[in-house]
Amino acid sequence: MNNLTLLLPEIFVVILGFSILTIDFFIPKNKKWILPCFAILSLTGILIFTLVFLSGKTDELYGGILRIDGYSLFFKSAFLILGGILIVSSVEYVNKNLSNQGEYYSILIFTVLAMMLMSSSGELLMAYISLEALSFGLYVLVAFDRYNIKSNEAGTKYIILGALSSAILLFGISQIYGLLGTTQFNEMADILGNTSSINPGLLIGFLFLIAGLGFKVAAVPFHMWAPDVYEGAPTPITAHLAVGSKAATFALILRFFISGLMPLMIDLQIILIIMAALTMTLGNLMALVQSNIKRLLAYSSIGHAGYLLLGLSALVSINQSGNFNLAFISNTNFVVSGIILHTIAYGISNLAAFLCISIIYKKTGHENIEDLAGIGKKSPFLSMVFAASVFSLAGLPIFAGFISKFYLFTGASMQGLIWLVAIAIFTSLISLYYYLRILKYIYIEKSKDSQQINLSVISFGLLSVLFIAMIFIGIYPAPLMDAIHHATDALSMLN
Amino acid sequence: MIELTHFQILSGFLFAIGLYGVLARRNAILVLMSIELMLNAVNINLIGYSIFMNASESHRALGHVIIIFVITVAAAELALAIAIILRLYRNKSSINTDDINIMKW
Repeated sequence: MNNLTLLLPEIFVVILGFSILTIDFFIPKNKKWILPCFAILSLTGILIFTLVFLSGKTDELYGGILRIDGYSLFFKSAFLILGGILIVSSVEYVNKNLSNQGEYYSILIFTVLAMMLMSSSGELLMAYISLEALSFGLYVLVAFDRYNIKSNEAGTKYIILGALSSAILLFGISQIYGLLGTTQFNEMADILGNTSSINPGLLIGFLFLIAGLGFKVAAVPFHMWAPDVYEGAPTPITAHLAVGSKAATFALILRFFISGLMPLMIDLQIILIIMAALTMTLGNLMALVQSNIKRLLAYSSIGHAGYLLLGLSALVSINQSGNFNLAFISNTNFVVSGIILHTIAYGISNLAAFLCISIIYKKTGHENIEDLAGIGKKSPFLSMVFAASVFSLAGLPIFAGFISKFYLFTGASMQGLIWLVAIAIFTSLISLYYYLRILKYIYIEKSKDSQQINLSVISFGLLSVLFIAMIFIGIYPAPLMDAIHHATDALSMLN
Repeated sequence: MIELTHFQILSGFLFAIGLYGVLARRNAILVLMSIELMLNAVNINLIGYSIFMNASESHRALGHVIIIFVITVAAAELALAIAIILRLYRNKSSINTDDINIMKW
């Protein structure tokens, strides 16, 4: 099959981004609602096209730079859906707080493109460029509220630390290229599998690479930018940072680790274990003392990055010695499915939580946890969804977060990481405290005014969709699990 | 005779100097310049490996390709960073990184 036809979904997304920029010139100021409508309709069309056109196709493009398989199909459709949700949840916020709507939506769509490329890249240079494309979009979007000094400050911090992290990542890539002679994941696995001793320079390269990627997913000790940037960014973009950029980076890391680094995982495991333990503990402990709700959720998302890192460190069994062998592949697949499921469940819950915050912010103009007081009376539906999303993030049963944490922790303990799972469960318990503190303000504290919060049709619809998705995945995860198993099988077949 | 080691030492030094600059400098523009130094250290590392690599022509050319992409991405990143820092300067009249402290902890 022709290379270009397999890239049609990406090409359509590029065309969509540019056409939104162009349409923006030709419509008057009071008719800007056309832009998000057009974007959502087109994204839905592209999603359907992708699902129909790419399902069952497996191919390498341009000598393995991009891979078309079940794994990339799964993430491409997930990111297209995510882009649609983000645009819907931005509509009201953008109307009220931001100017230059055309640029906002088109940059958002370009970040969706970058995420799609990240999930399908099979080579380090492509991975780096798509990662940078995503980051560039996010730098602009974080600083988009031009006259808000918090947004400026968040953007400055994000771009300086992001550029630093990409320099570190690139140094790692240059070491790997120099000492292995290749940047393709498959060839790396072949070379690493055939050599018995590892060059220390190569180990430095992988460490730098992990550090650079750790910056992007906000893993401790590279997390310092996250709370500031999450607090200062416009709220829909905070949701994008917490969900999209994290999911895309983990999609990239999973493919890189599974198809490239598997022979080396036993050496890298201890680093990942330490990072996971630190991230879970510090993220959840720091969230206890926060008073700004976006900052609180930022630390909570650092904690969730820790759970995902727990999954990554469980890719190989702790008892396994010597070379990687295929007997453990089923356990590895189980863990990979767990990571993907947790990414999805955490993403849905976080999107719902941030949507609630942005609705409340629109009414009250504050983002402190005290300002949530009395929301339970003012808008019962909103607070029900908020409560559900918070329970789901904490991992309580019947919500999506429970089933995903259960799956992830089971996989990790099957691989022998009992102590790390114990830390994870303990930090989940700690996290309940600050999640319940949010609920205390919503339902128990009395509000000073009795002004009602009326939901618009758009936010009501999106909130119900996310609410139903959270409960549906929590009760009946089988359809989603089937899709995830399909993706995981496609990933491990590369070996 | 110049060996691969010379390239690696030079690149390592440049990278370390850049990292020190990022950590020690207080002016946002100087921090950006230090990051540029780090990216150029990467380029020197790549060109050194690419010259002395024992591999086929196409694998050696890959290093040069990566360098061109790094230069392009670095230029774009710098332009974006300066634009964002300019916004900060308009609102705050300072680009000292110590003054960027509305949000902490």
